[in-house]
Amino acid sequence: MDLLDQFSNINFYLFGTFPKGEVGGLLLNIIMAFLAICFSCVFGIMLGYSRLSCRLYIKLPCIAYIELVRSTPLIMIIFWFYFFLPYLFGGNVTVFWSAVVSLCAYAAAYQAEIVRAGIMAVPKGQLEAALSTGMSRYNAMRYVILPQAFKIMLPSFVSFFVSLFKDTSVTYIIGVMELTQTGIIVSQRQPDKIYAAYLSMAIGFWVVCFTMSHLARRLEKRIGVFDLESIRPDACRDEFMLVPKTKKTGEGVDETPSCCSSDSK
Amino acid sequence: MIKFIATNKWFHNHHVLRNINLEISKGEVIVICGPSGAGKSTLLRTINKLESIDDGEIIVDGMYLSDPKTDLTALRAEIGMVFQHFNLYPHKTALKNITLAPRKVRGLGKKQATEKALKLLERVGLTHRRDAFPVQLSGGEQQRVAIARSLAMEPKIMLFDEPTSALDPELINEVLDVMVSLAKEGMTMVVVTHEIGFAQKVADRVVFMDDGEIIETGIPPDIFVNPQHPRTRNFMSSVFHIPVFGETEEEK
Repeated sequence: MDLLDQFSNINFYLFGTFPKGEVGGLLLNIIMAFLAICFSCVFGIMLGYSRLSCRLYIKLPCIAYIELVRSTPLIMIIFWFYFFLPYLFGGNVTVFWSAVVSLCAYAAAYQAEIVRAGIMAVPKGQLEAALSTGMSRYNAMRYVILPQAFKIMLPSFVSFFVSLFKDTSVTYIIGVMELTQTGIIVSQRQPDKIYAAYLSMAIGFWVVCFTMSHLARRLEKRIGVFDLESIRPDACRDEFMLVPKTKKTGEGVDETPSCCSSDSK
Repeated sequence: MIKFIATNKWFHNHHVLRNINLEISKGEVIVICGPSGAGKSTLLRTINKLESIDDGEIIVDGMYLSDPKTDLTALRAEIGMVFQHFNLYPHKTALKNITLAPRKVRGLGKKQATEKALKLLERVGLTHRRDAFPVQLSGGEQQRVAIARSLAMEPKIMLFDEPTSALDPELINEVLDVMVSLAKEGMTMVVVTHEIGFAQKVADRVVFMDDGEIIETGIPPDIFVNPQHPRTRNFMSSVFHIPVFGETEEEK
């Protein structure tokens, strides 16, 4: 019942104080995630590609950046940009932009590794084949290597985007009015219904994440990343289990234990 | 057409090509054979500079390969290459595999490139497979598409790097047939292969390599039946199962 009462706050959860004030709530999470994904894609692809260079003056800064970010908690990066950006731009940076920039910096490092792994996974012979027909390196990358690499990267990208969306909730710590923040405000206003407020937040995140992974699965199916069977949610692989389920024999066929049956496989 | 002058190459401390001197003229079909690790593939790959050399010079169609100013894409456009593992682009259909390079390198329009590709597919007998993806093709069909892909650039030289080694025995002939017809048309070909039948039929010269060196060069009967060098004799008898020793003939 308390959960149903939260419906009175649904506008606040979804849009914050939007028509009157600034955008907030779940919509703000989505906007932040979208911007972070777009910018970090560009940055991450450049970073991951440069990291494959043999030239140390290109490669080493990329490795340094990727390793630095990957071994730092997201919340540290958020704080760091929160205090560092105003120092650079003279205090005119809103918490929203400092959150987007830090999410972007964080995501780029992870995406760089996905990009690198994807490019490395394309067999070396593909580049040789393309070059030997007289294609330039740029054309070989663009028409031969990258299309194959993106197919390999797609599942990792999607799972990373879903987790990046969830990570936008951390930005409440610097005061961004996103879903977590709105939930906290509601729970403070109605201290007797704290659990309902937190449950509402969980539902909000769940709906978006589930939609994202569902759409991604359909996309993967369409471009054929996996065979169709491995994508079926109900697919199971009992032969990999350490203790296999005892075999069901359909239509009441003989129930002889396997040690006695002659044709047991 | 192709000239090796005192070419040397090292992989770290391993001396893969030792003082190679070889001249291949226009229209010639050269078969390179020898035990694995002899440097056959490396030799072949230096011709279109997929491997660079450390010493000496290679001149291909008047272009000096060790000259940094040589336009590599222009060079490679004139040299077709067929690989052991086909290396077709798995995300493109057979037809698109063939049209990609002519469109991007030669700047052909879509219609022209497609027409040309269809002619080549007809030539290798695969018109009905034009819209198949590489995974849907058998090994022999893949290799024939790969040959068509190289031919689409109208190369002056064709390099074959063990084109039938990854194929099932019953699929080898369909690929060799294409290669034989190509040789008869006067294409300059350098072929690394263990197909002795092919070599005897079309090769103008056979080059036997071992341990990075060219041991012997000669016309096929000389190399296969009557090799001079003991290493060649040893290899021919063990790999090709041919009685190369005089005794076996005399005993009969």
